[in-house]
Amino acid sequence: MSEPALRPYVVFGFESTHDALTAESVLAAGGLPLTVMPTPKSLGALCGIALRIAETDVPAAEKTMMRAGIVWTASARILDR
Amino acid sequence: MEAMAEIDVSRIVYFDHAATSWPKPDVVIEAMERSLVTAGGNPGRGAHTLAVAASRTILEARGAVAGLLGIAEPRNLVFTAGCTEGLNVAIKGLVRPGDRVVVSSMEHNAVARPLNLLAASGVIVDVVTADEHGCVDADAMEHAVAERETRAVICQHASNVTGAIQPVGDLADIAHDAGAVLIVDGAQATGHLRVDIGALAADIYVSSGHKGLLGPQGVGLLYLSSDVDPDELVQGGSGGSSEEPMQPRLRPDRYEAGTSNTPGIAGLGAAAHYLAEHGDALRTLEAELTAQLHEGLLGIEGLRVLGPPPGVERVPVVSVVHDRIDGDRIAFELDRNYGIAVRAGLHCAPWAHDTIGTLDTGAVRFGIGYGLTAGDVDTVLSALREICA
Repeated sequence: MSEPALRPYVVFGFESTHDALTAESVLAAGGLPLTVMPTPKSLGALCGIALRIAETDVPAAEKTMMRAGIVWTASARILDR
Repeated sequence: MEAMAEIDVSRIVYFDHAATSWPKPDVVIEAMERSLVTAGGNPGRGAHTLAVAASRTILEARGAVAGLLGIAEPRNLVFTAGCTEGLNVAIKGLVRPGDRVVVSSMEHNAVARPLNLLAASGVIVDVVTADEHGCVDADAMEHAVAERETRAVICQHASNVTGAIQPVGDLADIAHDAGAVLIVDGAQATGHLRVDIGALAADIYVSSGHKGLLGPQGVGLLYLSSDVDPDELVQGGSGGSSEEPMQPRLRPDRYEAGTSNTPGIAGLGAAAHYLAEHGDALRTLEAELTAQLHEGLLGIEGLRVLGPPPGVERVPVVSVVHDRIDGDRIAFELDRNYGIAVRAGLHCAPWAHDTIGTLDTGAVRFGIGYGLTAGDVDTVLSALREICA
């Protein structure tokens, strides 16, 4: 069985679980697909939950979070399956 | 160890809602069970499915409780182990030696005892005496606040002894005009009154989850406005910023060190949803039953009803004193012979009983709430007529 192809994502980190899950709720309500995942070490000293969003959805996601007053503290581009 | 007998709860007529509400709506129990079975991870710790489910449970409950109580920013709502813990954070986190506090004489020991402790370390505590019904006079509080610089004004929203509703909206203005903060103990108000904390403009509002809010024991709430910044009393794990040597200042994490009571919070969240839908009808019924009980008690010879007279709004708490039968005896007979649950004594509020002249006798308190009917009130009145005959 062949491995799924790597796709570009952006992982967003937040200062607290409250912020991360509030962002998840807002993004889900906006119809933006996302995945909850452990915060990658590359995002620094953050809470344990990060949100992975397809790179193509990032502009819409950032706009949605900013409109809701949600602050993310770091983000990083990754390739993932 | 002697085995405990199975309790037949179907025979219990429960008039102790001011201590803790019982029974709970089914949705509360179901939410707690769901939390334990399908969201049993540690909230805020880890990103695996059950941990995230637990975190979502708390986020959802925080939003539900905030919405019910008029709190615009849910992160300003802290879940505590109970009202007592919240009041300790509010008082000890803000007040320093040399500060002055103006407090009503109707306060529960959850306020009185922390203040008594702080008074020994140089905090000035000025107690303003309420009237014989247990009603706090806003003018008297204002006069006291104006006497000298004041750090905090502390008052309950409603009395756990007389049911009196206090003028906390006026007290917010009085405190703010003097540069002080208002701390409100809402243990007897939330659920029983339509409480809008934002509209009240209290700086700190503390309450219990297991009384009128119909949640389980072991969970309470502490609202902190953005203008106040009390020290946290407990430091520890917060799930994030683990490399930081000091407690993070971000709310609510700052005040919720350690693993949260997720099942309790889940139950409280479900209760908030229940009250958002049924709260108005429940409050109307509670007011009717309280008036029925109050009127009936006034007709029983030997009983003196404490608190505001009929017609004056109160929370669903009515307390009585008999002129020759001790309160503990009345409570004992109600329980043993009629299956009626009430609470006798000082109700953890010696200041309040001293204020209304019942420190030596205590009182028998009837707390009305969810699940009671007019027939239950008739049952209580009938039993009391027999006991007092």
